[in-house]
Amino acid sequence: MFAALPRILRTSSFRLTLLCIGSFGASVLILFGVMYWAASVYMSNSLDAAVDSDITELADVLQVGGDAALEALVKERVRQTPHGPMFYLLQDAKGDVVAGNLLPVRGGEGRFELKVRNSDAPHVTAHAHSIALPDGGYLTVAVDSFPRNKMRKLILWVFGCSAATSLLLAFGGGALMSVNLLRRIETISRAARDIMAGDFSRRIPNRGTGDEFDHLVASLNAMLARNEVAIESVRQVSNDIAHDLRTPLTRLRQRLELAQRQARSVEGWRRAAQGCISDMDAILETFGGLLRIAQIESGVPTRRFTKVDLSELLRTVIEVYQPMAEEKEQRLTADIASGLIVWGDRELLTQMVANVIENAMKHSPSGASIGLATSTSPTMIAVAVSDSGPGIPAEERVHVFRRFYRLERSRSTPGSGLGLSLVEAIAALHLAGIELTDNGPGLCVTLRFHAPDQPPPARYCLAKSQQEARPLPASSSQCRPDTTEGERSGPV
Amino acid sequence: MKILLIEDDRENADYVANGLREEGHLVAQVASGAEGLICAMGNGFDLLIVDRMIPGLDGLNLVKSLRAAGNHTPVLFLTALGGVEDRVSGLNAGGDDYLIKPFAFSELVARVAALGRRPHATVAETRLHVLDLELDLLSRTVRRHGKLIELQPREFQLLEYLMRHAGQVVTRTMLLEHVWDIHFDPHTTSSRPT
Repeated sequence: MFAALPRILRTSSFRLTLLCIGSFGASVLILFGVMYWAASVYMSNSLDAAVDSDITELADVLQVGGDAALEALVKERVRQTPHGPMFYLLQDAKGDVVAGNLLPVRGGEGRFELKVRNSDAPHVTAHAHSIALPDGGYLTVAVDSFPRNKMRKLILWVFGCSAATSLLLAFGGGALMSVNLLRRIETISRAARDIMAGDFSRRIPNRGTGDEFDHLVASLNAMLARNEVAIESVRQVSNDIAHDLRTPLTRLRQRLELAQRQARSVEGWRRAAQGCISDMDAILETFGGLLRIAQIESGVPTRRFTKVDLSELLRTVIEVYQPMAEEKEQRLTADIASGLIVWGDRELLTQMVANVIENAMKHSPSGASIGLATSTSPTMIAVAVSDSGPGIPAEERVHVFRRFYRLERSRSTPGSGLGLSLVEAIAALHLAGIELTDNGPGLCVTLRFHAPDQPPPARYCLAKSQQEARPLPASSSQCRPDTTEGERSGPV
Repeated sequence: MKILLIEDDRENADYVANGLREEGHLVAQVASGAEGLICAMGNGFDLLIVDRMIPGLDGLNLVKSLRAAGNHTPVLFLTALGGVEDRVSGLNAGGDDYLIKPFAFSELVARVAALGRRPHATVAETRLHVLDLELDLLSRTVRRHGKLIELQPREFQLLEYLMRHAGQVVTRTMLLEHVWDIHFDPHTTSSRPT
């Protein structure tokens, strides 16, 4: 605690506390000052009034009965109250005391304070008023100013006590607040250091009180989760590159070595070069695919999302692929409803649909027919691409979205094994669901989109691992069921 | 055609420049952005081929500066930055076309030819003619021998693109990009110039 004290004193909250104490204290001081002054004035005035009324009375007696009557009255009064609260003094023109219980004064006319000897206390302060008499003498009347002094003392005492208590409380509270604040900041910075040290799954603990710190921590944790996904995606790509680009690169190298050893003619070299170029193209294609998936999974900016005319998009893709299907002697048919609108990135959606169609075409034999059909429900738009190819066995469907996963029998067909991974990445970005079902025979791939009047996907929608970190709103959860895992794949 | 190639990778620059020279173009090479900007401003080039990641001034800002200075020489970005965002930012900066490395040389040649012949944007054509084929961009009608030909919108777009590039090689990816607005190469039949 003591070691931390200097740091506490440096915290912004403590400084803020000091500032509050300063300004609050100043205003209280002014308030008390005014109060003190006003009370003093009020009390002085009432003392004045008491003295003045007595003087008036005595002056009246003087006027009516003359000096003798005044002297008699003063003596009578002194006899009645020798110890106050009223004190009297009658002096003649020479200043000698004629009557009274006050020491002689030489102040002339006016108001003044004086000390009175008293039997109880050595001195009592009194508030006096002297007036000159017609014969040149002076009449002085004084009143014990004890009530005023007592009130002044009381005010000072109350002020002192309450100021000390408030100061103590404020300092204590400030220190406590700072300690608390420091502790929470320390938790956050400790988590930050852990993360910097490489523990990307580390999160800042939340106290669950719902205060502004919890709010900040929740935001930071969401950011960390998002970063983790991005980092994980990059790591995944480097792993994939290591595993799956090394093989074709090795093959390329072998081909070149072989050519160097064996090629004897220009024609041989040309053939070798041709082979190398097509190897290289395949490698570049894989490389491009990996980069694209990584880019999408690490969170393509969803600010590019707009309302996309899905019907028009599907027709365009069909238009582009129809000639290619004809080349492969396949039939590509489409049944597309008009006016389908989804929320997303046009280019990525085009790529997704194209990949699904390409996948169907690639794995279907000549003469097969491939169909694309749309269907709608109030909340969802479904696009189903079905083929009459060999299909995918139910137990394999779990794996087809994995990068480089290729069914045993498709090893010989060209392709990078990334097509469906890309489809999944794009679907996840759009919070669309993918379903693989048996088309008996063949495969049916269904993409399910939100209708655009549904709330648009969360701004930071990300690929799968992110969704564990931040649960989606209930309305979207129906769109990302386990179907990507191939478990709800309908009749097999 | 007089072409300025702004590319810092020596080997790739030589490959592109030599290839284009074989096609009969005059090619000047510079390796840095600042140098490229000075060259491009000065000597009336017909086309700039710009790499985006070059030392000094990067390609994107080079083109922005050029456009800001009122220079409208067509620009072809030739770059390894192939993300969706990258292409959009390149075209927004004032690029006329965007080709991603690695590329087939025939693709580059076709695009260079297309850009070189491109009419200046200030002169808006309303009618295209090829032999007896006439395409009216305003009424969106096509006539041959004066006889009206009915076309679907997409067919019209396709014909328009081909007529604008009459006598040139047009690659499949160019058609996909300009007519169908598809910016990736369908793999089923790998990139094959048509």
